Amino acid sequence: MPSKDKVDSAITSSDQKLVLSSLEPEQLAGLKKHPIPRRHLSGLEKFVMWSLRIYLLFMMVVVIYQVWASLH
Amino acid sequence: MNLGPLSRITPQAVPQEDVVITHEDVDRAHDRVRVSSARAQRGAFSKFRLLWLLVGPGILVMLGENDGPSMISYAATGARFGIGFFIPFVILTFCMAIVVQEMTMRLGSATHRGHAELIFDRFGPFWGWFSMIDLGIGNFLTLITEFIAIRAGLGFFGVPPWAAVGSALVFLSLAVIMHRYWTWERTLLAIAVFNLVFVPVALLTHPNWHSVGSALVTWKPLPGGLTQDTLIIVLADIGATVTPWMLFFQQSATVDKGLTRKDIHLGRIDTVVGAALAATAAVATIIATAPLFAHHMTAENFQGAEFAQALQPLIGRFGAALFAIGIVEAGMVASVTISISSAYAFGEVARRPHSLNLPVAQGKAFYSVLFLCAATAGAIVLIPGLPLVYVILLVNVVAVLAMPPALVFLFMLANDREVMGDLVSPRWANILATGVVVFLTLAGLLFGISVIAPNVFAFLGGK
Repeated sequence: MPSKDKVDSAITSSDQKLVLSSLEPEQLAGLKKHPIPRRHLSGLEKFVMWSLRIYLLFMMVVVIYQVWASLH
Repeated sequence: MNLGPLSRITPQAVPQEDVVITHEDVDRAHDRVRVSSARAQRGAFSKFRLLWLLVGPGILVMLGENDGPSMISYAATGARFGIGFFIPFVILTFCMAIVVQEMTMRLGSATHRGHAELIFDRFGPFWGWFSMIDLGIGNFLTLITEFIAIRAGLGFFGVPPWAAVGSALVFLSLAVIMHRYWTWERTLLAIAVFNLVFVPVALLTHPNWHSVGSALVTWKPLPGGLTQDTLIIVLADIGATVTPWMLFFQQSATVDKGLTRKDIHLGRIDTVVGAALAATAAVATIIATAPLFAHHMTAENFQGAEFAQALQPLIGRFGAALFAIGIVEAGMVASVTISISSAYAFGEVARRPHSLNLPVAQGKAFYSVLFLCAATAGAIVLIPGLPLVYVILLVNVVAVLAMPPALVFLFMLANDREVMGDLVSPRWANILATGVVVFLTLAGLLFGISVIAPNVFAFLGGK
C-alpha cells in the first residue's frame, strides 16, 4: 500500500486513512500511470480490425464525395 | 481491500509504494463512503438512496446524446416522414444504445480505467491512435454542431450568434469549475432533465394518440420507400443514439465516479433509465414536429430555431419557445459532456491527471483540452455562410460510420478475461453486440451504395 510519506502535502492523515479504507487499490489515481500489459491479437482479430479500418476509410471518402457532390 | 481482476496482471509492473494519494482520491473516497453507508442500511429508502448516489453516467450519456444535432434530426424526421416508421425505429436504436453502453459501464467498474487508456494499453499505440483520431475528429465535428444548435435555439429569442456562443462557453466554464465530480454530475443532471421539455411541446400539438399507439404496435413502412434522402435521415437517427464519444464518456465517468464491481447492477439501471428518458424526449420531438408533415409543409431547409418558428402557428409562442429552449439545452449539455470526453481521453492517453475532482492547478492539461476544444468549435460556428443543417445531418452519419471499429474494440475488451475476470460479457450480450455491429456496418454500406450507385434504390422500389 502507499507509504505515508508518499502523499500530497495537503492531504491529512485522516484523509489518507479514508482513501485506503474506502477505495480499491486500482482506483488510486497514482496507480493509473502504470500501463496494463498488452494483449496478444489473433489473426482473426487483426483481420476484423483491419477490415473495419478499411471500411471506415472507404466510407469517409464516400462522405467527402457526397459533400462535394451536394455542393456542386 | 477488494482486488479487481487487473491485480492479477499488474502486480509486477506496479510498485505501489510509489503511489501518491491525491485530492482526486480523497474526493472519490468521500463519495464511496456515502455509497457504502447507504448499502449497509436496510429498507426501501436506503435502496433508493443507493440508487440515487450511483446513477449519473448512464443518464448523462443518454441525455447528453440527445444533443443539438440529434434533436434537430428527430425534428427533421417528424416533419418529413411523420411518426409511422420512425417512432419504433428510434426506440430500437435506444435498445442498441443500452446494449453498447452497458458494456462500457461494466468495463469501467471492473477495471477502473478509461476507454482510451484500455485501448492503448491492451492493443498498443498503433490501434490506439486510430481510435483517438476517430474520437478526436468525431468529437470536434459534433461539438461544432452543438454550438450550431445553441446559436439557432437562442436565435429564436433574438440573441446574436456571438452572444450565444459566448454564453455557451460561460456555461461550460461554470459546469466544470466546481472541481468536484459529484457536484458537476448533479448540476448537469438537473439541467439535462430539461431535455424532457419536448414532451409538453408534443402535448401542445394535440397528437392523435391512436396513431401513435398504432405506430408503436404495427411499425409502418418507410414513407416514399428507401431513397438516399431517407437513408441519410435513418443514419442520422441511428447516429443520434449510438456514437463513439458515448463509449469513452460513460466508461471514464464511471471510473471518475468510482463505481466498483458491486455497483454494476445499479449501473445497468442507470443506463436503462437514461435510455428511457432520452427515448421519451426523442419520440416526443418526432411527435411534436409531425404536424408539419401532416400539413404537407416543406421542411428540407429547416434549422433548429426554424422548426420552432414553423411550429408557432400550431402550438403558439409559448410552445415554440419551449422547443427552442429544448434545442439550446440539448446543445449546452452535450457541449459539456463531449468536451469532457475529449479531455478524459487526452488525459488517459497522455498519462496526465484526468478527473473532474482535480483542482485547476493539478489538472491544467485536462481543463485546457476541455476549453480549447469547445472554444475552437464555438469560433467556427461564427463563420458566416456555413451550411448548418447539412453539417448536422452529416455529423450524425459520420458517427454511425465510425461506430463499428469502435464497437469491435469495446467488444474485445468486454470479453478480455485478463482485465474483466468473471465480468466478461455473457453469450447473450455478445450476440446482441454482434447484431449491433452488423446492423451499423450494413447501414453504412447501404449509405455508401446509395451515394455510389443511387439507381440501385430505384431497382429496390425506392425513388
